[in-house]
Amino acid sequence: MPLFSLRGRRPPLAVVPDTPARQPTLAEAALEHIDALYSLAVHLTGNASDAEDLVQTTFARALAGAAHFQEGSNVRAWLFRILRNGFIDLARRKKIVLEIPDDTLDVRPVEGAALEQLRFITASEVARAIASLPVEHRLVVLLEVEGFSEAEIADIAHCAPGTVKSRLSRAKAKLRVALQESK
Amino acid sequence: MTDEADRLVAAALRDHARIPAPPRLHAKLARRYLAPRRSWLLASVSALGGAAVAAALVLLLVRPHAPAIDPANEAVGDHLRMLIGRGLGVEVSDMHQVKPWFAGKLDFVPPITFLGDDDFPLAGGDVAVFLGHKAAELVYHRRMHVISLFVFQADVPAGERTVQGFHVVMWNHDGFGFALVSDVSFDDLHALYARLQ
Repeated sequence: MPLFSLRGRRPPLAVVPDTPARQPTLAEAALEHIDALYSLAVHLTGNASDAEDLVQTTFARALAGAAHFQEGSNVRAWLFRILRNGFIDLARRKKIVLEIPDDTLDVRPVEGAALEQLRFITASEVARAIASLPVEHRLVVLLEVEGFSEAEIADIAHCAPGTVKSRLSRAKAKLRVALQESK
Repeated sequence: MTDEADRLVAAALRDHARIPAPPRLHAKLARRYLAPRRSWLLASVSALGGAAVAAALVLLLVRPHAPAIDPANEAVGDHLRMLIGRGLGVEVSDMHQVKPWFAGKLDFVPPITFLGDDDFPLAGGDVAVFLGHKAAELVYHRRMHVISLFVFQADVPAGERTVQGFHVVMWNHDGFGFALVSDVSFDDLHALYARLQ
């Protein structure tokens, strides 16, 4: 005879699952990226007023088309893609030149005092150097600053990954020259 | 040493390329797209039928969540927006030309008498929006650098801050708030501050 019966045993305490955290809505998730979108917009358009309009248009288009957003995909990349498309529309209206000029670049090794000066680059020098780039070069450089991979940049910029690679390389070389000349 | 130069340029971009959106844009988008948030306290009070208390709390708790506005960030953002291409409304080197330019554009006269000198030549001025108030923006040069001075009818937390590598000096005087912002050193900003007193 068993010393105790399983029948009368108290069941183990049920583990009450934690209340699941509320998932942010698409609007809440999207609004976390206002600063990053605005930063790209103001560098592309060159002025605060157009940048604010572009960001507002981006949110209006994104949230009106929320049904097209695939759950689980990258909200951030989706918003940047919409902003880039909105900028192309704006550029056409305002006749902003999008083509990258086929210019030559005199890239020399940076050494000695010139290299030391690059350790003290200021924010205003960065702003001016970015403004000196063609807009498609600004786009790839700033998307990389935002942490996007080359494949993601290619998707946002509607171009091949190889094109992104060459544009990034050229844009960075131009930036280096512009920042050296600003000193 | 090109690799080292590339690394320094990449670091400069990482540290300085981002320009924050103005607080008014954050507030506008939050108002438009975020549903009002209700607290559990509001729900309890409503359940108890404390209509008067609830009505008061509604004003406090049901408002859309607006991000806090940091005056130093606002100053740096406005300064950067001017630097990257907004330009100045009036470009002159004489305060006697700048002050009349503000007439009709602002509902106050900026209490500034410093006309600029060899160390800090006046470059011009513009109208900006600072902390939701119309502000006079006066621009001085210091060697190759640009210094913005914002003057507006509101108080700011007086003190010094560094945001994105820019130094900001803020103070209040006689009902006006002032914010100096630039990438020059704090010593240079203090020298300009002394001239503005």
